[in-house]
Amino acid sequence: MVSNLRHVTAPLIGNNPITLQILGICSALAVTTSLSTALVMSLALTAVLCLASASISLIRHHIPNVIRLIVQIIIIASLVIVIDELLQAYAYEISRQLSIFVGLIVTNCLVMGRAEAFAMRNPVWPSVLDGLGNGLGYSLVLIIVGSIRELLGAGSLLGYTILTPASEGGWFVPLGLMQLAPSAFFIIGLLIWVIRTRWTEQVETAKFTLKTQEVRQ
Amino acid sequence: MRSAVYLTSSVSGVTVAQVMALVPTSIVAALVDPVRYPALLVAALLTAVFWDAIFAYLRKRNAGFHGITTALIVTVLVPADLALWQLVLTLSLGVILGELIFGGRGFGFLGPAVVAVSLLVFSFPEVQLANGSQALALATLPGALLLFFFGLVSWRVILGTFVGVFALAALSGESVDVVAITTILAFSLIFLICDPTAAAVTNPGRWLHGLLAGGLIVLFSGGSDMTTEAIVFAALTASIFAPLIDHLIILLHARRWRNAHA
Repeated sequence: MVSNLRHVTAPLIGNNPITLQILGICSALAVTTSLSTALVMSLALTAVLCLASASISLIRHHIPNVIRLIVQIIIIASLVIVIDELLQAYAYEISRQLSIFVGLIVTNCLVMGRAEAFAMRNPVWPSVLDGLGNGLGYSLVLIIVGSIRELLGAGSLLGYTILTPASEGGWFVPLGLMQLAPSAFFIIGLLIWVIRTRWTEQVETAKFTLKTQEVRQ
Repeated sequence: MRSAVYLTSSVSGVTVAQVMALVPTSIVAALVDPVRYPALLVAALLTAVFWDAIFAYLRKRNAGFHGITTALIVTVLVPADLALWQLVLTLSLGVILGELIFGGRGFGFLGPAVVAVSLLVFSFPEVQLANGSQALALATLPGALLLFFFGLVSWRVILGTFVGVFALAALSGESVDVVAITTILAFSLIFLICDPTAAAVTNPGRWLHGLLAGGLIVLFSGGSDMTTEAIVFAALTASIFAPLIDHLIILLHARRWRNAHA
């Protein structure tokens, strides 16, 4: 059990899909303007990841190797369509805000990566846990980025006003930058910096080093 | 000339030369608003030097204080009634994200002043940057000559920018007022577009970089009525493309050289 649990805990920080493997960045930039969209996207992706890992792992011995990617995509795409329809039926407003990004979970490198790297060669239960762990790792980053962007960009969290903006008589001046995609890049970059300062084993070896050289006179 | 080259062969020498070039423009800005400008300047200098010192401490290096030039450039460009916290916040982001995370002056590919001012405009759309005045343009001239003497601005970038501005303005059928354009452009051209760490470094690349910056200025301001915001964004975009331009020029040179010697 303890060994299975590490499939869930490892991707949270130690092997986080976004901050270490730099996967799933596209949706992380697009849906984090507010916390609610980030949460729904996290839920959708985690659900797809768990279910896809389970189904793929279940039939892994029957998938012909040459068409394994096609089979994986069919399974993932079917799940994504179900999730998308569910969102449209029960959370129409959020699904409108997420627009194409729920559909694009199909092409999310994270989902494909876990199917190919883990679910294809492991039993069902560890695969589900691995999917859950990676989904939670993705969710963790999305929630952090979404909270920072909504709080500093609009002064609210989940739509509730926390910092009253100056336009409504408060003291807080919203940072317009936080509502633009580059700010998510900056925040994820700074997050990676913090993580790699604390967990130094994540630091990549430098490709280039400076040559120490005397200044020519 | 030899001593001049020696001065700018170290990063600190470049900083000293740029600070000297920026003294007249800062004086002009101070004369325009003698009450507000000193406060902005002190806040900007403290912020920039603070981050320089912090990063020097974290990286166990000698502090460089290159942020002084960033502070001097930014304070000239921002409006005098800017809130101090807005200046401190965006200058911090500009200095850290544009320069210090890359390893300091000369390691990044963007001018920290350009990044700081761009972030200011992005974050607070209601902020109007100070427009270039005649006095500012005149005060830029000695600095420009000094930097040119030290080889820290390239005449190719300057000419390229002017050609780009005039060509695109003429193409769009606008009337071109050389004096007015030079007045607005002067300071930003010398200290933002020609920044030695952000501009292209191959000679044909310098022309292309200038042309691109000039064209983008007209494009972003939607005509020959140029705004400082448009110039800053043009400088940012052009400096992002500068490494690519240089890379292509070097590839082209390598191919021509290989063909000639094959």
